[in-house]
Amino acid sequence: MTILRPEQSSLQEVLDRILDKGVVIDAEVRIGLGCVDLLGIRATIILSSFKTAIQIGLAFPEGTNTNTPAWQDLLSKQPCPVCGMESRTKDLRQQGCPWCGWNYRPKAS
Amino acid sequence: MRMELQTEGKLKMEDYRFRPERTEDTGLAGAIDKILDKGLVINADITIDVAGVELLGIKIRAALASFETAARYGLEFPSGTNINTAAWKEAMIQKEECPQCGKKVDMEELLNIACPWCGWQSAKAKKAKERKISAKVEVQ
Repeated sequence: MTILRPEQSSLQEVLDRILDKGVVIDAEVRIGLGCVDLLGIRATIILSSFKTAIQIGLAFPEGTNTNTPAWQDLLSKQPCPVCGMESRTKDLRQQGCPWCGWNYRPKAS
Repeated sequence: MRMELQTEGKLKMEDYRFRPERTEDTGLAGAIDKILDKGLVINADITIDVAGVELLGIKIRAALASFETAARYGLEFPSGTNINTAAWKEAMIQKEECPQCGKKVDMEELLNIACPWCGWQSAKAKKAKERKISAKVEVQ
């Protein structure tokens, strides 16, 4: 079987991976003089793609409608291991990839 | 790319010499394109205190996306935005990139029929076509 999806290490692929995994920055900075705390900064920052955000339950800005079909797709779809095109996990497992025809249970010939 | 010899008079899509092919844009433009397409969430809680007294607190809940993505994911638009224009309706249609030419096409059409730009067919469409042909043969 040929793998159609090329492995990339471009900027695009790197950013894609980072945002798919999500980035959490948890930082605490304290600046003191003598034994007196002068300035303290505490920051928790999270950066992620929409897909990861909905999966791990991040808060969205007020007024966001998270009931659109696009959100449902994010939760129910998965990329095909061969071509990388997204399709429903259930269909991908039972009927194979509708895009490239990949099937993890090859037909008995 | 494969070139097939023709036995019939008609040209098949595979025979076009200038078949559109996707050129991967792997630079900054491609990266920005992908990020805006997928959408980016930035959430942050920042507090600044001076001498033990909390002075400033910042809470950020931000979503960054292209117009199309924002429309499909139901992000709120600034008041006064007219979302009844044709472009918005177009944005609500689910699109997928053609694996061959990279054009954004209506997903249903791409999956069930073919890419209207380059003629690429999905495995599902090919299977449906085969089934149709074999049914025709049986009838004959």
